[in-house]
Amino acid sequence: MPHRRDFLTQSGCGFGALALAAMLREDTQAASGGALQVLHHPPKAKRVVQLFMAGAASQIDLWDHKPLLEKVHGQPSDFGEPVETFQDGLGPWMKSPFKFSPYGESGKQLSEVVAPLGECVDDMAFVHNMVGKTGVHSQATYLQATGFERPGFPGMGSWISYALGAINENLPTFVVLPDHRGFASNGPKNWGSAFLPATAQGTAIFPQRANPIDDLSAQADFVTAAGDHDGLELLKRINRRYQEQRNGDSRLEARIRSYELAAAMQLSAPEALDISSESAETMKMYGLDRIGATYPDQINPAEEAEYFGRKCLIARRLIERGVRFVQIWSGNDNGFPRRNWDSHENIERDHGPLARGMAVGTAALLKDLKQRGLLEDTIVLWTTEFGRMPSSQGGVGRDHNPHVFTNWLCGGGIRAGATYGESDDWGYKPLERNNPTQVYDIHATILHLLGIDHTRLTVRHDGIDRRLTDVHGHIIHDIIA
Amino acid sequence: MNLLNKNLLMRAGQIALLLVAASTSVLGADNFFRSQVAPILSQRCLSCHSGDKPKGDFSLKSRATFFADGYVEPGDSAVSHLMELIAPSKGPAEMPRDADPLSDVEVAVIAKWIDDGAVWPDNFELQESEVDDFDWWSYQPLTRPEVPKSDNSWASSAIDRFVLDKLNQHGLTHSPRADRATLIRRLTYDLIGLPPTPEEVSDFVADADPGAYEKLVDRLLESKHYGEHWARHWLDVAKYADSCGYDKDKLRPNAWPYRDYVIRSFNEDKPYARFVQEQIAGDVLFPDEPDGIVGLGFIAAGPWDFIGHVEVAEAKLDGKVARNLDRDDMVSGALNTFCSLTVQCARCHNHKFDPITQEQYYGMQAIFAAVDRADRPFDIEPAVAKRRRKLNSQLNDVVAQQAELEAHIVSLGGEPLSDAQAAIRELEQSRKAIYPEEHGYHSGMATKADVEKWVEVEFPSEVPISKVVLHPCSDDFNGIGDGFGFPVRFKIEVANTEGTWTAIHDATDEDFPNPKLSELSVALKDRKARRVRVTANRLARRADDYIFALAELEVYSDEQNVARGATVHSADSIEAPIRWGANNLIDGKWPRASGEDVEQQIDAATTTRDLLLARIITERIAQQRTELACLSGEISAQIEKLPAQQKIYAAASSFERQGNFIPTDGKPREVFVLIRGEVGMPGKPAVPGVIPLSGDSPWQFDPNLSESERRARLAQWLTDRQHPHTWRSIVNRVWQYHFGEGIVATSNDFGRMGAQPTHPALLDWLAFEFRDGGQFLTAQSLKSLHRLIVTSNTYQQSSANIPSNASIDSGNQFLWRANRRRLTAEELRDSILTVSGAMNWQMGGPGYYLFELEKPEHSPHFEYFKFDPSNADSHRRSIYRFVARSQPNPYMTTLDCADSSQSTPRRTETLTSLQALTLLNNKFNLVMAQEFARRLKREYESSNAQVARAVELVTQRSVTPGEMTEYMDYTHRHGLDNLCRLLFNLSEFVFLD
Repeated sequence: MPHRRDFLTQSGCGFGALALAAMLREDTQAASGGALQVLHHPPKAKRVVQLFMAGAASQIDLWDHKPLLEKVHGQPSDFGEPVETFQDGLGPWMKSPFKFSPYGESGKQLSEVVAPLGECVDDMAFVHNMVGKTGVHSQATYLQATGFERPGFPGMGSWISYALGAINENLPTFVVLPDHRGFASNGPKNWGSAFLPATAQGTAIFPQRANPIDDLSAQADFVTAAGDHDGLELLKRINRRYQEQRNGDSRLEARIRSYELAAAMQLSAPEALDISSESAETMKMYGLDRIGATYPDQINPAEEAEYFGRKCLIARRLIERGVRFVQIWSGNDNGFPRRNWDSHENIERDHGPLARGMAVGTAALLKDLKQRGLLEDTIVLWTTEFGRMPSSQGGVGRDHNPHVFTNWLCGGGIRAGATYGESDDWGYKPLERNNPTQVYDIHATILHLLGIDHTRLTVRHDGIDRRLTDVHGHIIHDIIA
Repeated sequence: MNLLNKNLLMRAGQIALLLVAASTSVLGADNFFRSQVAPILSQRCLSCHSGDKPKGDFSLKSRATFFADGYVEPGDSAVSHLMELIAPSKGPAEMPRDADPLSDVEVAVIAKWIDDGAVWPDNFELQESEVDDFDWWSYQPLTRPEVPKSDNSWASSAIDRFVLDKLNQHGLTHSPRADRATLIRRLTYDLIGLPPTPEEVSDFVADADPGAYEKLVDRLLESKHYGEHWARHWLDVAKYADSCGYDKDKLRPNAWPYRDYVIRSFNEDKPYARFVQEQIAGDVLFPDEPDGIVGLGFIAAGPWDFIGHVEVAEAKLDGKVARNLDRDDMVSGALNTFCSLTVQCARCHNHKFDPITQEQYYGMQAIFAAVDRADRPFDIEPAVAKRRRKLNSQLNDVVAQQAELEAHIVSLGGEPLSDAQAAIRELEQSRKAIYPEEHGYHSGMATKADVEKWVEVEFPSEVPISKVVLHPCSDDFNGIGDGFGFPVRFKIEVANTEGTWTAIHDATDEDFPNPKLSELSVALKDRKARRVRVTANRLARRADDYIFALAELEVYSDEQNVARGATVHSADSIEAPIRWGANNLIDGKWPRASGEDVEQQIDAATTTRDLLLARIITERIAQQRTELACLSGEISAQIEKLPAQQKIYAAASSFERQGNFIPTDGKPREVFVLIRGEVGMPGKPAVPGVIPLSGDSPWQFDPNLSESERRARLAQWLTDRQHPHTWRSIVNRVWQYHFGEGIVATSNDFGRMGAQPTHPALLDWLAFEFRDGGQFLTAQSLKSLHRLIVTSNTYQQSSANIPSNASIDSGNQFLWRANRRRLTAEELRDSILTVSGAMNWQMGGPGYYLFELEKPEHSPHFEYFKFDPSNADSHRRSIYRFVARSQPNPYMTTLDCADSSQSTPRRTETLTSLQALTLLNNKFNLVMAQEFARRLKREYESSNAQVARAVELVTQRSVTPGEMTEYMDYTHRHGLDNLCRLLFNLSEFVFLD
């Protein structure tokens, strides 16, 4: 790959010279723009990748092996207490349609559909006793994404961007890679900055669109590279004059600088998204060895692998280039045929391909980050809005289970090979019901690893000192290395 | 002593200085408990460990319960289990659960208390901590402060004198008046949100009339665009959007009349108290006025969870959570907006800073306990509304008379009649249809009726068939009920093994009436079939879409239904167990009425009753009956003839049922004081009421007040002359939108967590004058408040920097100059439309889309990137755009538009690289640049004139010769389109001095 400076001057793009000015400055300047001038304690991690499975991925069919369900499969389910399901109808116990086998030195049992992650399992830390508050997708997704089950609160990525600022100002600080089919429940509200400044909002990137980032380039006949080049020079002169006549207003200077950064982003972003220089080996690892195929309407493994793998590969490239927080979504909203993890009808039909595709990309991402030395200061979090019931709904699908589900974390100071918190023998509730893990604990732990005390990162909004963890949150020391 | 407690005691020793010195006297120990221990227990433990069902069966309420379980060993903290719970040697503390652990100081206080013998004073009961201190500025009665005296000629108005007073106190000087071109630009944007035309600027600059400025102010306040601009501020606070938000983000096609109502109210300069009352209880206080109903759009403006209300039953926990959050939104909306009080902080515990208890908070929820958000009909014409109300009241009278007459008949009939009627009732109840949970087969949705959908059964081999029977479905969805989804036009066909189809029943050319629950049976002779298919060619209407649904398809071979066990195929099928699924078509379950014998019994019983009645009903009674029936018919006919009503999405207690979303019909739901705000932990029932405004002010309503009376009481309370918050709140908001910052910077929070007023006397003076009116103001007239503010010299100051002032007050909180500000998202978009000449000034009506709408039948997708901004329907002021809550417009969001999920009392102002990209490259800006260039070319021939005019339109000043050379050079090389695009990016365009 040519040196970046050569790339800039040779690109012939109108923004070249301006961009260069901004990027050179970036070369000599440290990261900037964070609200926390000084971290609360030395960090173990700098960056985060969050993988979000929309629709509620089943813990007991992927990560949390329940041998008991194989014994009682088909028998009427008896929870020993009244159970309020989301949809009506409580079917018999149902074993996983997938086989589990031990992996790694830890011998962690994983489902066959996530087998590619077997190679990474000794680096991962599982939390099997996550509990939510509601079985409604929207509220539960908000809770896992923002820490509140209502709209109007910033996502974890926004809080972290707000606190730490950019590592590389030429790329967005917080990038979101939505599912290729569309948005999950709540859409962009899951990554909105709410009452934090707009700089903290997630920037959605759609790799398959002509303009992968909204407005990154102008789509009009009359726009030319030379026109942009001269135009930006002229704009800078005029805006500079306006600023010089109005001393003492730093915003006018910031505005001039924002155009330099925009120009730099126009170069950096396409470069970061361009995977054509990746080796055939890498492409294969990420499941990207049959790009351009067409796919049926039903969820299928090849499509999942390609689209999820592409997002994972782009995530690695963004992390490598100094993006602070990357959020990857698997699964669209609710609709028919199913296009997310909400497998009320058929776990095998929908979870099978979604999980196989997800596992290929995720395993590649973990291995790739590790071999590039990035995993040590990048936290990867796998999450979903809630789990699924150990009983069927009468057929071969499972209903919502907000009472227990699984998260796993990896890298960035996370204790490799840990399993923390157990669910009960059925995978219905935490084994220790009085001692579950909540999203606040996961958020507190991630902030802790980034050098942030979750109780001290606050913003006053409408009379309340708001924080990501509300009034909750315990750092889970057992999963910290 | 174990290690943990040794550590703890050492820690306690280190901070012993913080504690009150140990005392052995009982009085000292009492005091220590009261002053140090009890507050910790109250604030950190009591909310869970008290009440009828304390958590872990451990109550801290009294001495007896506290010591009952032996958690504490008086005199020895080291062996007290309580210490292990709150300060374990290892790992996180178990208590307080789900909250921050106790601080070292708090732990040490408790350890010391235990070590000193754990003295709990006699009869002392812990109380949940609450703030009862009203000694805070915003709770003080509103009085009219004296206007400071000044002989400085600059301080010509009362506002200026208050401001100058503060400037003097802080050693600051005021700034000179801005020049006229700056003033007209500032004033035009502030009052109508648009740029002045170059001609308006030059006229004003040249106007020799000493009252030129006042004339300008009057012209702008009279402009219809004033309401369009100021309504936007109001809608930010009210959380207005045109969709519900949350999952499935359903559209609200009837929300816009509220938006238009706000615009109209500002333009009409509606008295403020009236404006407030209409939005809380207009239907009760002004029943004949359309604005009384439309104003209720305020209560419904915020987000609403479709799934939590429609798909989940109210009795379920998730259903209760949804309704609790829904009422929370109404309560916080009303109190944040009108009183600037953060009442919602008391949802989970007493307000920690302001005198608002949880009991009072839930009392306010009880005010809204019977209302939901739904479409509600209203009459646009007050006269029609009045007539409708009169007719309805007459009709009610007639109905009452009818009931009276029937009761009279019953009394005459005595026991035989009541027995006969009871028998009929019983039989009718037994007739109740049987509705299995498994509804049947449900096709995919279609957007129009004339679409073909089919479903069929296939047998392993050809079978002889004698009869085919179709059973309709039933589903309450959209109030449809029996016959749900039964095709309007369809045919039944059979195929042999070779696949040759023959129709056995053809209803494809004529509409088939809804069969309700009656089956359709087709008898056949000598027919063999491998497949039997039902094809609908005209679908049944569902909501805004069309479907085909069928409960059961029976195919008889001899006397046996061979469809059971066959294979079902379909063009498409919605699989939503248990209710819907292709296999439900052959499960032997369909909704049916009960048997024929019941019908016969009913007939017989009816005959018996009618014979009895014939003896009772005299000619006179019969005549009365007929007269009443005629009267009722006449009145109903008159009601029907009234002009059709329009719909508004507003607070409503009666509306069309939708799934589990059932109207209360005015019967308030039970609201409880929820422990820790959890619906699973209800405390005592909440009594409707408001919050106290002083230590002794009454705040509870009569619990027997009806739904509408509760809201009326709230509206009256909010607009009470003596209310200390309402009047300060509104004048502060208006001030903020003129100066960039309110006299109180936190315009939604006048509590202790909010900011304090920078000019308290000015705030009170304005609030007092605004409320009562007088020499300077018309009472409660917002326009007259604007006039007072913008004609002050304070407002007309230059925004230029004065370093000596900046060194004292860099944030300009004392207003030594005007604040420069960036235009808002709407102002920018509207300005671009205006200068490019593309603006369509049409007011009001349904919101226009700035996206392609996809999949509206399930969860609407708002595809912004697919929208073509050259679509002229969208070239209107931004306030009229359709606001999608879950997917905010990316262009507007990047420009710091308000998020409609939360009340936005003040926009943030950012300058980001994404904003630069948006203004440079967004398709809207590109299309408008071309539009602008076309306008210039249309209006001016020479390139010079075009460029000069372009600069003048964008900056409202003449181009300088130096700039002219640069712009001409650029235009010459890259075209006028590109120059126009560039001009939208000028800081001079984006900022307002």
